[in-house]
Amino acid sequence: MSILANKDTRAVIIGGVAGVNAAKRMAQFDFLINRPLTVQAFVYPPEAGQQKEIFRGGELKNVTVYSSLAPSLQEHPEINTALIYIGASRGYQAAKEAIEAPGIKLISMITEGIPEKDAKRLKKLADAHGKIFNGPSSIGIMSAGECRLGVIGGEFKNLKLCNLYRAGSFGVLTKSGGLSNEAMWLCAQNGNGVTSAVAIGGDSFPGTDFVTYLEMFENDPETKAVVMVGEVGGSLEEEAAEWLAASKRRIRLIAAIGGTCQEVLPQGMKFGHAGAKEGKKGAGSARSKMNALREAGALVPDTFGGLSKAIKQVYQELLASGDIKPEPEIDEAVLPQLPPSVQEVMKQGDVVVEPLIRTTISDDRGEEPRYSGYAASELCEKGYGIEDVIALLWNKRLPSREESEIIKRIVMISADHGPAVSGAFGSIIAACAGIDMPQAVSAGMTMIGPRFGGAVTNAGKYFKMGVKDFPNDIPGFLSWMKDNVGPVPGIGHRVKSLKNPDKRVSYLVDYVKNHTSLHTPCLNFALEVQKITTAKKDNLILNVDGTIGCILMDLDFPEHSLNGFFVLARTIGMIGHWIDQNNQNARLIRLYDYLINYAVKPERPVPDKK
Amino acid sequence: MAKILEGPAMKLFNKWGIPVPNYVVIMDPNRLSQLGEANKWLRESKLVVKAHEAIGGRWKLGLVKIGLNLDEAIEASKEMIGTKIGTAEVRQVIIAEMLEHDEEYYFSIIGNKDGSELLLSTKGGVDIEDNWHTVKRLFIPLDETPSVESLTEVALEAGFEGEVAERVGKIASRLILCFDNEDAQSIEINPLVIRKSDMRFAALDAVMNVDWDARFRHADWDFKPVSEIGRPYTEAEQQIMDIDSRIKGSVKFVEVPGGEVALLTAGGGASVFYADAVVARGGTIANYAEYSGDPADWAVEALTETICKLPNIKHIIVGGAIANFTDVRATFSGIINGFRDSKSKGYLENVKIWVRRGGPNEAQGLAAIRKLQEEGFDIHVYDRSMPMTDIVDLALKS
Repeated sequence: MSILANKDTRAVIIGGVAGVNAAKRMAQFDFLINRPLTVQAFVYPPEAGQQKEIFRGGELKNVTVYSSLAPSLQEHPEINTALIYIGASRGYQAAKEAIEAPGIKLISMITEGIPEKDAKRLKKLADAHGKIFNGPSSIGIMSAGECRLGVIGGEFKNLKLCNLYRAGSFGVLTKSGGLSNEAMWLCAQNGNGVTSAVAIGGDSFPGTDFVTYLEMFENDPETKAVVMVGEVGGSLEEEAAEWLAASKRRIRLIAAIGGTCQEVLPQGMKFGHAGAKEGKKGAGSARSKMNALREAGALVPDTFGGLSKAIKQVYQELLASGDIKPEPEIDEAVLPQLPPSVQEVMKQGDVVVEPLIRTTISDDRGEEPRYSGYAASELCEKGYGIEDVIALLWNKRLPSREESEIIKRIVMISADHGPAVSGAFGSIIAACAGIDMPQAVSAGMTMIGPRFGGAVTNAGKYFKMGVKDFPNDIPGFLSWMKDNVGPVPGIGHRVKSLKNPDKRVSYLVDYVKNHTSLHTPCLNFALEVQKITTAKKDNLILNVDGTIGCILMDLDFPEHSLNGFFVLARTIGMIGHWIDQNNQNARLIRLYDYLINYAVKPERPVPDKK
Repeated sequence: MAKILEGPAMKLFNKWGIPVPNYVVIMDPNRLSQLGEANKWLRESKLVVKAHEAIGGRWKLGLVKIGLNLDEAIEASKEMIGTKIGTAEVRQVIIAEMLEHDEEYYFSIIGNKDGSELLLSTKGGVDIEDNWHTVKRLFIPLDETPSVESLTEVALEAGFEGEVAERVGKIASRLILCFDNEDAQSIEINPLVIRKSDMRFAALDAVMNVDWDARFRHADWDFKPVSEIGRPYTEAEQQIMDIDSRIKGSVKFVEVPGGEVALLTAGGGASVFYADAVVARGGTIANYAEYSGDPADWAVEALTETICKLPNIKHIIVGGAIANFTDVRATFSGIINGFRDSKSKGYLENVKIWVRRGGPNEAQGLAAIRKLQEEGFDIHVYDRSMPMTDIVDLALKS
């Protein structure tokens, strides 16, 4: 048996992320004792309509979040308990609604920092409605083997260690949350475990007092003794002592009272819970509470550490008197194990998971990203530049100083080519239409293809093939290309020619061949090809795509990385154009009619639909 | 519980129509002479000058001067401002009009679980303790407001007479309004004085506690509560309070000078039991500390470093119950870092560390802190099977 919460308890949690976390912990308990999910609904307006994923063991349940209490109760009429997890400034309203809701019998509030007046009003309201209002600042309520409300009891392992999967004979009452868990552990270690444990919270004016719960425990035949943890301040412990002394009680009371240290502290120095604020030696002091309880017949050790012995003693006495029948211990091996997460199992090496993707270039699992193993900050510190990072991420090796100078020049030379070319123009049209940067830049980016900037890869690929398969046989190469590919990628330009050379090409060729020691078989081959093609037609020159492609092949970059240099470089330019248009607050543009040849049919009537 | 200084209390009284004497709060004594030019009462009344700080026993410390004229008040302010009492420094003084009066009354109101209780006596002043039997009490149920007539009745029963009783009834009614609307926990006015020649009342001295948790609904609370520990906060305490106000969960720290056993304990309930255990076993605590609600590791680290700096400590008790949701591994990583850092700075010489804890990830947390043994720490680590406060017994017997 139990008090307050049992197998029929169904709860709504009012509050956000803390409430969801509590529901997850509660579902672990539901799984342990094989009961249906306790939490049926959440109420949290900012997330109304969402479903929260709650695992009951390995079973995934979805619990709905409602915008207010009424619809949640309408859809889940079995709900009889509300747990308040919402912030202090909204706590009063939430608890008030729950108290006034007809189906709800028990309201437990974990929220801390509720103004005293609000707590007093809630207690008064609950009394008037004949409801139990537990808290504020309560960690929750645990009924062993029956129901867990809140995170009381801690992690799954602890639920087993404290024997919470089945009822014992001890009730637990505390103000503190941590000590409720400690007391449950002591009852499991030194006795046979608990029936129910209730944390009433450490505020000055809790909604429910010790006496209310002592009365309930007295009426619960399975509870034979109660462990009560009180503290300095207020009068709840004295009232408990009065209750105990008032008539013959069936249950035994064991109590620990905190705050005796105040006797020796400097005047006025107080600490602990909000409620632990009064009394040095007079009424409300820890000493007076201990004395009152001892006089009333409770067993009160002088320190918390003494509780173990006291519980053991009472347990032995209850066994001896036959009030408690010894029961065989449940073999913990028969209790369910919480299914571990994939990560946990992997850590233990008990499972093999086929990876979904594989990476060979970078790793961000440490304190900072590492590129091919090198920490980014260390690369910066040692004077490496963006060109070295490109080489690391695209080719997985650090280039030499000469090589990185070439890479840098390729990017610099290709960064932009004015507003008129397809890529930049695409970005500009998008910018003028008010499109955001990433989309406008990708509008320009979509232009990159066989006719615009996208020939680098193929140029590199075929010139490299030429070096290998047609050494010293340019005509052979050209005829193979004509038969199998078509125009040679990297050869030819719309406006540039032998007479009007492309400065970028001549600069790069000169730099690589005359100012570095790079071995350039591809570039040499391409220049030989140019000699033949320009003899046929003046503008069939080695263009910038072809030049870059050859140099990058000579630098040993992977074939399919080559277009990346153009994509990367032009991104710089396209971003520039987007910023430029935005700085000028450019207006929407459209083509003028006179720039369009309307080669369409003249206006004519629409025939009737057949 | 948040005690507020006289200045802010007077301001709240004024707001609710409770008569107060003229007063000013200053930080610069020169400002007072300028105020004197602007305010007739400063030039013509007898004045009282008080240190406007949370310092107990101000009278005995010479931080209250009475019966002064303006020049004397300026002089007294100059003397007081900058005075250091222990760790506290007088930064502000309050100068109030000393109302010539005929009688001193006692007024107070204090909250209880069902509402509040109003206390009245015609025999206020310094001897109120001796005249406690004259105090008339009225219980006021939650959210009920007694009428001025019924309060006048109570005043008559308390021994107030005629017009005075009527005025006392009115003031009591306003006191109740102030108490209710300002989320007060207690207000004590002693004395409330009367000058019968012009029937002028004034609350000459008052202590007010407000519910700091209710500050979210008081836009005009421009004050900060004064220390709850009977003395001003130290710098280290202030630092931990600042951290506390910024984090999820909480960290708390109070110094107790002269103690030998430092507490680095978890949870509002358990921490007090650890302090009790030290005292019960004849030890002396060097501080009170508490971390709870799964605070960030860096906050626990800061608390640890603060505790390691406490002078002349012999033991540190890293204690706690079996936590419900505070992650032991995470909070202990803060403690471990704090210990390491403190040791590298020369602290923790000859200090023994005693650990007992349980809760989420307890095995990993305890294993990690146990490793400090290998780094030369004198540390003794126990798990949940050790009764909670028994590490204190072990420490004090070692």
